[in-house]
Amino acid sequence: MDCYTANWNPLGDSAFYRKYELYSMDWDLKEELRDCLVAAAPYGGPIALLRNPWRKEKPASARPVLEIYSASGVPLASLLWKSGPVVSLGWSAEEELLCVQEDGVVLVYGLHGDFRRHFSMGNEVLQNRVLDARIFHTEFGSGVAILTGAHRFTLSANVGDLKLRRMPEVPGLQSAPSCWTTVCQDRVAHILLAVGPDLYLLDHAACSAVTPPGLAPGVSSFLQMAVSFTYRHLALFTDTGYIWMGTASLKKESQKADEYLREIQELGQLPQAVQQCIEAAGHEHWPDMQKSLLRAASFGKCFLDRFPPDSFVRMCQDLRVLNAVRDYHIGIPLTYSQYKQLTIQVLLDRLVLRRLYPLAIQICEYLRLPEVQGVSRILAHWACYKVQQKDVSDEDVARAINQKLGDTPGVSYSDIAARAYGCGRTELAIKLLEYEPRSGEQVPLLLKMKRSKLALSKAIESGDTDLVFTVLLHLKNELNRGDFFMTLRNQPMALSLYRQFCKHQELETLKDLYNQDDNHQELGSFHIRASYAAEERIEGRVAALQTAADAFYKAKNEFAAKATEDQMRLLRLQRRLEDELGGRFLDLSLHDTVTTLILSGQNKRAEQLARDFRIPDKRLWWLKLTALADLEDWEELEKFSKSKKSPIGYLPFVEICMKQHNKYEAKKYASRVGPEQKVKALLLVGDVAQAADVAIEHRNEAEMSLVLSHCTGATDGATADKIQRARAQAQKK
Amino acid sequence: MAFPHRPDAPELPDFSMLKRLARDQLIYLLEQLPGKKDLFIEADLMSPLDRIANVSILKQHEVDKLYKVENKPALSSSLVNADKMAGRTRKYKVIFSPQKFYACEMVLEEEGVYGDVSCDEWAFSLLPLDVDLLSMELPEFFRDYFLEGDQRWINTLAQALHLLSTLYGPFPNCYGIGRCAKMSYELWKRLEEEEDGETKGRRPEIGQIFLLDRDVDFVTALCSQVVYEGLVDDTFRIKCGSVDFGPEVTSSDKSLKVLLNAEDKVFNEIRNEHFSNVFSFLSQKARNLQAQYDRRRGMDIKQMKNFVSQELKGLKQEHRLLSLHIGACESIMKKKTKQDFQELIKTEHALLEGFNIRESTSYIEEHIDRQVSPIESLRLMCLLSITENGLIPKDYRSLKTQYLQSYGPEHLLTFSNLRRAGLLTEQAPGDTLTAVESKVSKLVTDKAAGKITDAFSSLAKRSNFRAISKKLNLIPRVDGEYDLKVPRDMAYVFSGAYVPLSCRIIEQVLERRGWQGLDEVVRLLNCSELAFTDMTKDDKASSESLRLILVVFLGGCTFSEISALRFLGREKGYRFIFLTTAVTNSARLMEAMSEVKA
Repeated sequence: MDCYTANWNPLGDSAFYRKYELYSMDWDLKEELRDCLVAAAPYGGPIALLRNPWRKEKPASARPVLEIYSASGVPLASLLWKSGPVVSLGWSAEEELLCVQEDGVVLVYGLHGDFRRHFSMGNEVLQNRVLDARIFHTEFGSGVAILTGAHRFTLSANVGDLKLRRMPEVPGLQSAPSCWTTVCQDRVAHILLAVGPDLYLLDHAACSAVTPPGLAPGVSSFLQMAVSFTYRHLALFTDTGYIWMGTASLKKESQKADEYLREIQELGQLPQAVQQCIEAAGHEHWPDMQKSLLRAASFGKCFLDRFPPDSFVRMCQDLRVLNAVRDYHIGIPLTYSQYKQLTIQVLLDRLVLRRLYPLAIQICEYLRLPEVQGVSRILAHWACYKVQQKDVSDEDVARAINQKLGDTPGVSYSDIAARAYGCGRTELAIKLLEYEPRSGEQVPLLLKMKRSKLALSKAIESGDTDLVFTVLLHLKNELNRGDFFMTLRNQPMALSLYRQFCKHQELETLKDLYNQDDNHQELGSFHIRASYAAEERIEGRVAALQTAADAFYKAKNEFAAKATEDQMRLLRLQRRLEDELGGRFLDLSLHDTVTTLILSGQNKRAEQLARDFRIPDKRLWWLKLTALADLEDWEELEKFSKSKKSPIGYLPFVEICMKQHNKYEAKKYASRVGPEQKVKALLLVGDVAQAADVAIEHRNEAEMSLVLSHCTGATDGATADKIQRARAQAQKK
Repeated sequence: MAFPHRPDAPELPDFSMLKRLARDQLIYLLEQLPGKKDLFIEADLMSPLDRIANVSILKQHEVDKLYKVENKPALSSSLVNADKMAGRTRKYKVIFSPQKFYACEMVLEEEGVYGDVSCDEWAFSLLPLDVDLLSMELPEFFRDYFLEGDQRWINTLAQALHLLSTLYGPFPNCYGIGRCAKMSYELWKRLEEEEDGETKGRRPEIGQIFLLDRDVDFVTALCSQVVYEGLVDDTFRIKCGSVDFGPEVTSSDKSLKVLLNAEDKVFNEIRNEHFSNVFSFLSQKARNLQAQYDRRRGMDIKQMKNFVSQELKGLKQEHRLLSLHIGACESIMKKKTKQDFQELIKTEHALLEGFNIRESTSYIEEHIDRQVSPIESLRLMCLLSITENGLIPKDYRSLKTQYLQSYGPEHLLTFSNLRRAGLLTEQAPGDTLTAVESKVSKLVTDKAAGKITDAFSSLAKRSNFRAISKKLNLIPRVDGEYDLKVPRDMAYVFSGAYVPLSCRIIEQVLERRGWQGLDEVVRLLNCSELAFTDMTKDDKASSESLRLILVVFLGGCTFSEISALRFLGREKGYRFIFLTTAVTNSARLMEAMSEVKA
């Protein structure tokens, strides 16, 4: 162990640093790195090189070449640079390469050299050209800062949501600053720049001079400055040969924490030692050293009663993952702290981005991540990549994908299909959609691909009516009317949905639908409805009814046809009555029409109407009875009652008179009520005693009980006794 | 009088959670438009909204003015456009409940205001009306599905069931009957699969669920109700769990809105009772109350103080409720005797039992001739049709003619509706058609035969009520008087004359734990492919949870059915929970089918 710290170099009083070689680079560089623009992505990301970047007048053969390598130098991409001169390169947090051109245009490339998009840093930059640029990282994403030829700064704190900000002028700045960098504090990006012996901090509102505390005197210029990844530390290199280091907020850091730690080290050291061994293993790069530290921890643990095992186990797992991705084939030399900050999800994304699907899946399985976050997600990415392989046939791709994915939960075949469609492979997309178990999910893509009829049946399968409706409206616009109706004809669920829609929004279409189906019954109903909802003039209404009647005949619904014709007659008649008699007749029912006539003393016309429309006797009697009683025309009522034998008996006469509180009239009819209802009638007019006599005479038990229940108070006492005696007698017999 | 539950009956789950969820979601939506705002509420949503968030809660979230809206889609656009004309700028949000349909957005687009408003969904689909009653408050479900064949609400229903299973655990045993029940069930299961994991491993709270289509049993819903709660609904219309008692009930000059649920102690004791018992119960109760008041006499100061501070309030409350229900009873009695209620009930019973058909038909004819009530006449015609497997052609024509003469020609459309729904049909002449029918009914279950379904659906839907009634023993044999004070079966809800078919089916299936042995009944119900059982293998369900049963009525259930199942629950140690698209009764069903002139 004595050589363990041999390569530790002190840095200040309390820290050490060491350097070790991660990889012997795999690349084969023909030029000096200093002749290239170089950008290495943080977090063990890829390295980009642009060779010959600034040769302006050049033969076509000597165009710059953009090369991308993994951190271990494995080539990932190489392409001829055909755009304008590049000033600066940098990687975004999503591992996209940002190439800042002299004219302020930023070109964005993927890890594999695939062009993604471009954007401009604005007119001011275009006019004054880019002198220098920096790519920096904030909590919102990645930003670009530009120094223009006019010595002004423009920046965007997040290239994903481009908002350009022009920074204020630095007073008296005539030439380029000797060095500058971006600093992010409190979610705001600043620019720190050095002009001669002075340092300035630029924010979006102002430019203020700052002084690093404890800087050795005599500095006339700053040659370089560097800010730490977290923006907490700053280093300045002066022309006097000094390096100044401090916090970026330009205050001194507290040393207390460290001292505090030292103090408590005296107490109970072992658990801490074990914990430290575990942690130290995490920060070691070489598996051998990791192992010996873990072995030491494991040894120390034996002497402790209750040392929780999970930190040890977790560290072992983490180190396996880290060692796997650090392998030079993979080339992602993450430190433990970086890994923890990045999270496993992001690491998996990065593996997917490098198309390292098998390793990603192995890691998921090893860490037992839930399928939806782990394996299925990666398989889905793999499938999306797979559909882009144009040299493989649709059948093979679809089969390969289905074999791998099966029905893994969380895999969306429709997403993969959408990707296939995006690559112009419609047939493949349809094949892939077949594997999608949720039919509803298939619909939007099918519509996009103009497979509306298929979309319709899938939507219906899903049971989601809203989806069906969406497809219907698509179809309606896409197909001609005839085809559209034909499609509906075979889909009853969609048809009824569309009918509902038409009922509220497009009545005419509804009629067409019924016509097309030869649905005469519904056509008839449609015109009936129109006769009192849409039409106002009487001629229009009658015409609508005529159409309805014709339709009903075609539907072989004689009843409805006849009833409709009757209604036409009635309407015309009502119109005539209104003309001749005044008052309101239109839209009354036949019954109410006759009643109205009687109430207005038009008995003759009423009779005529009843005959014309063959109103049955019973109805007519009820009708007249009610109407005359309402008029309290007792004389006419009596005449009517004697016109012939009542088809409804005479009890209704008694009832209606009593309803009008006319006992006198009621009694007249009570005497004419037939024997079966006599008791009821007598009770109605309040003649309990006679009712009792009749009941006793009938020897009817039910009638006797009925009378008894009407015997109230002392007045009917004698009657009640009478019935009781009759009952007793009946029982004796 | 209200029967106690068996000691082993399970506890009901706490459904107030649903209210809290809905309220929180609404508040969240309101807060999306910060500051003062006016709220326009569709008339149908007023009462349900009030049960979730009353005015003071709305005011807390800066709702300034409340408006009731009668005409829905036109409103938002006219409002926005009026503001535009006046040069006024405001923010608008349209909240759709329980869900936003694609067509809603289309209407907004057509009106040219789509860009001006933001849309949101208030997924408020289940309103707990009582401790054991959840309503979706979707009265339109009945007409939309059973008449128009519109399946849009099935998704809403499946979502509601999904919500219940995420809140109260999975349902290990599922039964159902009817096409809509089956579709809803399948859609619901698919939802569960898509969001798997959420309910897995949870212990089921509610062990069994039963889904039933209203068209499996129209008869029960068409009968006059005679248990108190049903009668109150038939007479005064209970709306969203509360009823407006008019001056004739309150015996003052004001109407009073009264919440009817288990918290009303007086109501809770009489709600499930046959009406003939209610009056005597209430008068007994009044006497007891008087006695308690009377104890005041002879109290010393301290006792009196105690009485006033502790008992008086409760007594007064009880007094208030008691007088209300007595008032309601009197009002019901007055109304029912006027229309010769006894005659009506007698006719209904005759129809159910299938005797004196001619007499009943004449009764109905007279009912129509006298213009007693269009809805009542229609109801009796439907009851006659369903119990008799359709009307004989002569009656079918003459009753319809009479009806049109009495109530107006537009009802030609009503009859067309009723025929389509299978509520009022014509008997097939002779037996020649039965072969065709059976062929058609086979086709009907086949998805592809949509058009044929449309044309022949009413033919295929033979009700077979008489045969079913015989098979399931729906008409109890009466030896002597049926003692309505001590009911012996569910028939008590119809004065001992008829066991509600829907409830009998549920009883039988629960008893057999499936449809075994009911094949013939299922066939007679035209549901051969539409009766299902789904039992989960792993037995995590406690025996207690298995006795907790959620019954889902698609198309509405009546208070009589609720009372009957509550009775069954007490007998067997079950507790039933009811989920219905809306509480319904015969009048509501008939109104849903009626065409009225605009």
